[in-house]
Amino acid sequence: MPYNIAMTSDFFYPQPGGVESHIYQLATKLRDRGHKVIIITHSYQTRHGVRYLTNGLKVYYVPFFVIYRESTFPTVFSFFPIFRNIIIRENIEIVHGHASMSSLCHEAILHARTMGLRTCFTDHSLFGFSDAGSILANKLLKFTLSDVDHVICVSHTCKENTVLRAALDPSMVSVIPNAVVAENFKPDPNAASKTHITIVVISRLFYNKGTDLLVAAIPRICELHPSVHFIIAGSGPKAIDLEQMLEKHMLQDRVSMLGPIRHEEVRDVMVRGHIYLHPSLTEAFGTVLVEAASCGLYVVCTRVGGIPEVLPSHMTVFARPEEDDLVNATSRAIKEIRMGRVRTDKFHEQVKSMYSWTDVAERTERVYEGICRGERVGLMERLKRYYGCGVWAGKLFVLCVVVDYLIWVLLEFLFPRSNIDIARGWPRKAARIGEGSTRRDRSRRREALVEEENVRN
Amino acid sequence: MFTTTPKLRVRSPSPTTVEFTVTTAPRNTLTRQLVTWSTILLRLLVCGTSLLLLLLKQYPPHTFTLNTHVHACLHPLLQYISAALASRIPWRYLLPSVLAALYIAIFTPGYTEESLLVIRDLGVQISTTTWGGRRSRFIPTSAVRDLWIHEGFCGFEVRFYLAVVVEGEEGVVVVFPTLLPNRRILELVWRGAKGCLYEPRRVGG
Repeated sequence: MPYNIAMTSDFFYPQPGGVESHIYQLATKLRDRGHKVIIITHSYQTRHGVRYLTNGLKVYYVPFFVIYRESTFPTVFSFFPIFRNIIIRENIEIVHGHASMSSLCHEAILHARTMGLRTCFTDHSLFGFSDAGSILANKLLKFTLSDVDHVICVSHTCKENTVLRAALDPSMVSVIPNAVVAENFKPDPNAASKTHITIVVISRLFYNKGTDLLVAAIPRICELHPSVHFIIAGSGPKAIDLEQMLEKHMLQDRVSMLGPIRHEEVRDVMVRGHIYLHPSLTEAFGTVLVEAASCGLYVVCTRVGGIPEVLPSHMTVFARPEEDDLVNATSRAIKEIRMGRVRTDKFHEQVKSMYSWTDVAERTERVYEGICRGERVGLMERLKRYYGCGVWAGKLFVLCVVVDYLIWVLLEFLFPRSNIDIARGWPRKAARIGEGSTRRDRSRRREALVEEENVRN
Repeated sequence: MFTTTPKLRVRSPSPTTVEFTVTTAPRNTLTRQLVTWSTILLRLLVCGTSLLLLLLKQYPPHTFTLNTHVHACLHPLLQYISAALASRIPWRYLLPSVLAALYIAIFTPGYTEESLLVIRDLGVQISTTTWGGRRSRFIPTSAVRDLWIHEGFCGFEVRFYLAVVVEGEEGVVVVFPTLLPNRRILELVWRGAKGCLYEPRRVGG
């Protein structure tokens, strides 16, 4: 049975990134399976209003105020009127939120529950438990997730983390990993240098991506292995540290920094190397590792978060997230490559058989089937769930939910459902429509004609 | 005041001309006239009363001759009421309420009528008629690139709108910009306008 699904997140194209491409790929594949999918996100500088992407995917860029790294300001209720309007005009049944740092997603899930829709949430990142920011984020997560039908995590580590942070029942959390479009990451054996070994690093240069480790490790690796070259792509606040390191050790001719690159250029950069180095300090899944392996690179990475689940052991060399071990692991990898003990040429086919978006869409569809079978929850039951969240937080959450419910009642009065136009779907291929709807189409056309007649008279 | 939900009227005096009018005015000509004149009367009455009260407050009846004349024209009972009101209510209440009454009387929209006139080989004219007057814009056929229906955010809602894409202009020109009628009406107008502008001429039609 086809569903009408709204994917909601603060993060979507034109901004590049893992969550963004996940939403796009998943939505595209779900549409191919016959569901109707729309995407709700906040407006970007160059893009606002209602847009169709080239494959007919509809995106609502809701005008909103952005505070930090493309996250919107959490206003809790201000999003409700527009959200309700979109949900009604698109006939949405399931609201699927993405990314725990996105307040738009949390608000959407809250409002969707108030309106009695099915909800689902995908967590893409790991969080700590100890610092103030994490505690706040965890409370927020707990708020949203105390009343959500199902949660999807991208790796088992991520699931464990989310279950602990939001105090969830593990049975309502599924693990569906990311995937890659293997066709876009084909290896090119002739692009890499024959004389020396090239190590590629592609990441945003932030603290959590382990750029400090990289700064410490690169001079030592260069010293140990005179024929090793580096290619670093990406930008961020830590780029300046890397440049200082290059100048201090005079490594400019062996380390080339490409700056920010677009996602479609990633493959061309990757195929120029032999080894992919990923020094991240925390990572829920690490799609980039799969992309690197798909390009036929041997992967050196830190053993943190969900990374050990991503690739089979013959494609990777693991290191502890510390300087010495990273240098050792890289040296091991260089030795193995030199001796020709790793068959990197077979990586592409193996990755292709392991990860596909069609598979992800199928599994997500099964989650949707599950949540649509579940019982609907009344307001009192919801309030009970929220009340159990904590001594003070519970009362605050209950207050929020009650206010949200009252706003909903008010909105039903101010903007009645009957006044909201139902949007037309993107025209499907003729084969998909089948026999069932032709009669309906014909009668609709007849109705339109009658109306036209009436108007003309 | 006294408006209905937006309704579509189509007039096609010749095969190459169509006028689509979306209006909130009552359909019946008599009711419409009645509503128009009664609203105008009501507006005038409110304005007049407000101004009179102000005048009486500033110049009580016995001090100023012009004012005395005005006051003398009124019915004695009205004379008494207006003078009493003017003298009793202090300025700080009178002035804001008079200003509010004037604002409401002048700026309350009456019915709104918006139309799209399509003349083949000549162009399209978009006009908006409100209580405040009539605004219109003509776009020659050579400058019309396309007509389309799209959605946009408008306040707390997402609304459909019909727009004309004009050659050499950054934005589009929205047809029916104040009423923004529903999708059904827009689709009828879109089909009709496109047909009139671009479809091959029907022989004898």
